[in-house]
Amino acid sequence: MNDNQNMTEPPASPAWGAPFAKRSWAELRYALVTLPLAIAAVAFIVPMLYNGLLWAASADGVWKLGAASRFLARRLLGEDVPAPPRPRSVVSYKVRTKDGARLAKAAEEAGGKARAWESKPGVTVRRLPPARIAELAAAAGITIDEMQPSSAFLSWTGGRTTDPVTWRARAYFGLKLPLAVVGLAVAAVCWLGGLYYLTFPAWWSLGLHNTLGFHIMTLGVAFSLCPVGMALLVTGPWLLHGVTNVDCWLIRGLLGASSPAERIRALEESRAIAVDDAAARLRGIERDLHDGAQAQLVALSMKLGLARDKLTGDGQVDVARVARLVEDAHAGILEAIVDLRTLARGIHPPVLDQGLADALTTLATRSAVPVELVTDIPERPSDAIETMAYFSAAELLTNVAKHSGARRATLEAVHVPGLLRIRVTDDGLGGARPVPGGGLCGLADRVRAVDGRVDIDSPRGGPTAVTVELPSRA
Amino acid sequence: MRIVIAEDAAVIRAGLAEILTDRGHEIVAAVGDAEALKDAVAADQPDVAIVDVRMPPSHTDEGLRAAIAIRRDHPGVGILVFSQYIETRYAADLLATGSGGVGYLLKDRVADVAEFTDAITRIAAGGTALDPEVVSGLLNASRHASALGTLTAREQDVLALMAEGRSNSAIADRIFVSERAVEKHISNIFTRLNLPPSDSDHRRVLAVLAYLGT
Repeated sequence: MNDNQNMTEPPASPAWGAPFAKRSWAELRYALVTLPLAIAAVAFIVPMLYNGLLWAASADGVWKLGAASRFLARRLLGEDVPAPPRPRSVVSYKVRTKDGARLAKAAEEAGGKARAWESKPGVTVRRLPPARIAELAAAAGITIDEMQPSSAFLSWTGGRTTDPVTWRARAYFGLKLPLAVVGLAVAAVCWLGGLYYLTFPAWWSLGLHNTLGFHIMTLGVAFSLCPVGMALLVTGPWLLHGVTNVDCWLIRGLLGASSPAERIRALEESRAIAVDDAAARLRGIERDLHDGAQAQLVALSMKLGLARDKLTGDGQVDVARVARLVEDAHAGILEAIVDLRTLARGIHPPVLDQGLADALTTLATRSAVPVELVTDIPERPSDAIETMAYFSAAELLTNVAKHSGARRATLEAVHVPGLLRIRVTDDGLGGARPVPGGGLCGLADRVRAVDGRVDIDSPRGGPTAVTVELPSRA
Repeated sequence: MRIVIAEDAAVIRAGLAEILTDRGHEIVAAVGDAEALKDAVAADQPDVAIVDVRMPPSHTDEGLRAAIAIRRDHPGVGILVFSQYIETRYAADLLATGSGGVGYLLKDRVADVAEFTDAITRIAAGGTALDPEVVSGLLNASRHASALGTLTAREQDVLALMAEGRSNSAIADRIFVSERAVEKHISNIFTRLNLPPSDSDHRRVLAVLAYLGT
């Protein structure tokens, strides 16, 4: 399914082999699947064009439709288009100043959007942070009397109505619908028509003597139509390939993250995720220390303190009692050691220094569900990527053990130049979905922060395959 | 003494109960969160409640807020807040709730069983028990740092011990001098800091804390 063929590559070589090429079947599947998607998308988008509020309300839906298209293109055609940033609120700033027009000009020159007010002196500035606005004003010698951020509602609608990503996605579906119809028509005429003419002598024998307004007199003439069928079958994939190429070109141009500004936005988002994630991890480690080893050690100090008091106090030493206290303390120390070891391994598993393959071997043997391990890592990815791959695999195996009900699982780690792919499959119940705030969503966010991606294939009833793809270097 | 323990880590809860029972105290309730603590205090009216700062659900400062509420609603109940970290801010909040019967100790202090039970006894009697770390935090954060700088090193030691809530004889034992010498240091401190002289241990601590806190 994931054959990463290049789009310029022809469906087959030699040319007459096209009908039997894997690529042709993939393109046919793509044409069949994307027509309903295009119809649904247009049916969703067009009524929502009625006014600005509906533009804003439909922006997230349009983004998801775009994501679905990118997913299908990647899955069926191997056409990998990086996702553009999601629609988001954009806070605009209302600046009361006498030099509204000049500030508007300065803001536009600095890459923002600005609109001077008509009724009173002032300007509304979008897409620039307040500190930058103040800086621009100061540099131009403009006095700002008052600066106020727009309300949450206005920021929400403002960001979404003007989001270029959403508008490009709408344009894509507008073009995609006719293209999908053409694609499917080509497929129907060439494949079905081709088969029909190729087998025409059989139909003729059954009494079908008319085609395309001609009356076919003899079986010999009927046989002469076979090459026509053959020709249709051979040209069909080539025509469909052309249509698919146009589609891919549109997807790259309209559904990808094209402009540097959007790429910056996407990077900003992933940076925010990475920073939040690091902070959350540190908080988690602190919690684990506080509730685990630290508490254990405090309890230990109590036991030993009491034991010492018993031993040094006046009067008879209750040996049995002291022995029990020391024994408890001893058991507590062992627990604290285990706690600390688990925690340390959770921060950085030492075996990872030996390479990802070794680390995954240890991980696989520790799994509650039997894991078959396949690794092919001729060259080591960077440290950060190895660590991320390791923890992704650990999380996925934990999910298998906890939720899937699987009896066995496989863990694959393959590194080709530029790409490290981790895949965990299991024979469990399936139905794994990323839910906001859940483990899979968190994993996807973390992976996205290094320009990687997560693919979940988990139909109800199983089997489940989760693929994590990471660049070789973060 | 009748004691309520509020601590979410089961190992520590059990350890505390063991130590205190061993010393002849009665544990009337041992709970794991702030709401249960308030209920237990209202129902049992203990002499002292030992309260962990971080407890469920948010694991931030539930215990401290419950402690402050208990001091407001049940002034007769002594409170020992204990925690794995000392936050000067928490100490200030706790001391702002007014007169004695309050303490704030690091959990490590439990290791010295005699000291710990002594602190609880002091709190039950309406005294104070502050961790040396709390005191040094308050001293550092004090706006009177310049006035404190005029004290001799020995006087600063005495002030810190006084702020922890210790009596003259306990201070004398600690720094190996006579009680007479301690009294002399204290009167010097009060003069230098312009505090009204006071005989009672308790009022003396309050004066010091009020001084540090303002």
